[in-house]
Amino acid sequence: MQKIMIIEDDPVIRDELALLLENEGYAPLTVTDFSDVPEQVKRSAPALILLDIGLPGKDGFRLCADLQKTVRIPIIFVTSRDSSLDEIRALGLGGDDYITKPYNIPVLMSRIKAVLRRSGGTAEADVTEALGLRVDMAKGTAQTESGRVELTRNELQILACLMRRPGEIVSRADLIETLWENRIYIDDNTLSVNVTRLRKKLEELGRPDLIKTRRGMGYQL
Amino acid sequence: MTFREYLSDRTERLIVGTVFAFAAAGFLLATGTAAGVLVILLIAWLAIAAGMLLFDYYKCRTRLRELWTVMDGLDEKYLFAECVPKGDGIYERKLLELTRRAGKSMIRAVSDAREAQRAYQEYVESWVHEIKTPMTAAELVCRNADAKTRQKLLPELAQIKAHVERALFYARSESAEKDILIREADLAEIAAQAIANHRTLLIENGVRVETEQIEQNVYTDAKWAAFLLGQLLQNAARYRSEHPVVTLSARRLGKQVQLAVSDNGIGIPAHEQPRVFDRGFTGQNGRARGGSTGMGLYLCRRVAGCLEADLRLSSEEGRGTRVTITFPAKENLTKT
Repeated sequence: MQKIMIIEDDPVIRDELALLLENEGYAPLTVTDFSDVPEQVKRSAPALILLDIGLPGKDGFRLCADLQKTVRIPIIFVTSRDSSLDEIRALGLGGDDYITKPYNIPVLMSRIKAVLRRSGGTAEADVTEALGLRVDMAKGTAQTESGRVELTRNELQILACLMRRPGEIVSRADLIETLWENRIYIDDNTLSVNVTRLRKKLEELGRPDLIKTRRGMGYQL
Repeated sequence: MTFREYLSDRTERLIVGTVFAFAAAGFLLATGTAAGVLVILLIAWLAIAAGMLLFDYYKCRTRLRELWTVMDGLDEKYLFAECVPKGDGIYERKLLELTRRAGKSMIRAVSDAREAQRAYQEYVESWVHEIKTPMTAAELVCRNADAKTRQKLLPELAQIKAHVERALFYARSESAEKDILIREADLAEIAAQAIANHRTLLIENGVRVETEQIEQNVYTDAKWAAFLLGQLLQNAARYRSEHPVVTLSARRLGKQVQLAVSDNGIGIPAHEQPRVFDRGFTGQNGRARGGSTGMGLYLCRRVAGCLEADLRLSSEEGRGTRVTITFPAKENLTKT
């Protein structure tokens, strides 16, 4: 589990964000004493820091400058200051990304993922395997013992989303939400059409009933 | 001031003078002055009176012209009395004194109003800044809550966010130059940001968004452009048809890039179209649906102005609405 340090002075945001990160499979660390932040960072060595700007004592800009001098840990600024000048200053100080409050939580999560990926922490697996099916995200193909088919971007993302949680029921709403995060802006009908096409392709691979429809609940692998 | 106007202003004096002259002449005739002497006296009196009148007329006219020149040269006309060269007549000086007092009170009123507006704007900006922390906290709590609560709360929070965002950009557009930074930006990123910001509303309304050739670089401020685009997306979701589809398509027009946002929504009646960008204008759609503030498109126009982008709208009732944003070419920017 990757450690993410939250440097934020609002207790509700701090705790809820920690809970959210925990649910997303990260190990959150929170800072409650702002007098020796660089020391705490060094001690716990997180993979990523979420840094607020308005903090008691040293502000986020100065902390970022201090941290850049001592440790090389990616920093995402998370702040309610949204002037262009602040953003330029933050990125100039070595921040990896700049997100303004009130942030869109899925956006925050995907930015965290992106920064972690860039810093080499995790590369999102290009190939996923489950239930005898092998999906290659880079090539855009699905494969079983009996053959291989090419998938469109939409089909690929739908399949990938289901394969990340094999056996679980994924609701249509969750599926749509995930697709939108991947910049596929489809509606409910289009989702059905895409799933039908996907099923047809899986049928070619000899797996016609891999994706099960759970009436009123969603889809399940 | 013409000579006639000048004379009409002095009619009483002229009449009194003439009556007095004739009365004096009658008196002199009765007391035995020779008629020849009287004629000479009258001619001399007339000449002197006419001369004085003309001299006074020219003096007045010159002075008035001077005052007009001062007024024409002033940007802030209410500063007139402060800038006028001192006159020599007591009457004029008193009049100017009165004007100056009126002007002073006006100047004070204007600067008070400006100060009040600046303070108000500052307050709104700091208020928006402050409200962000609890809003962020509320959204995080909502995300961590159970699915049912989340489904109910997320749209409400999204609405609050949209209203707050409009208030912020309204206050900001008063002094946009402080915040806007026009530089090369990725249109696809701007679109993704705008869509992400309004994802809850769009998904909730079953909107499908299609993009065509939006991988272009434009000269704009990404944050402001995303706000503008967000308003259009909100409208598309609000005034939607049965199966709403929004298409974002971009094309190059010489050195400019034009982004078209088209929807297949209920459209805007032709007679309302010229007024949709007016402040506070809500058409029949807005009134029928409720919750329309008439601020969205008004802000779009303001923001487009700040971004030096051209904003146009065309719509057909029952068919949909199409808004085009033409981003400026780098060379045409007046500020960078």
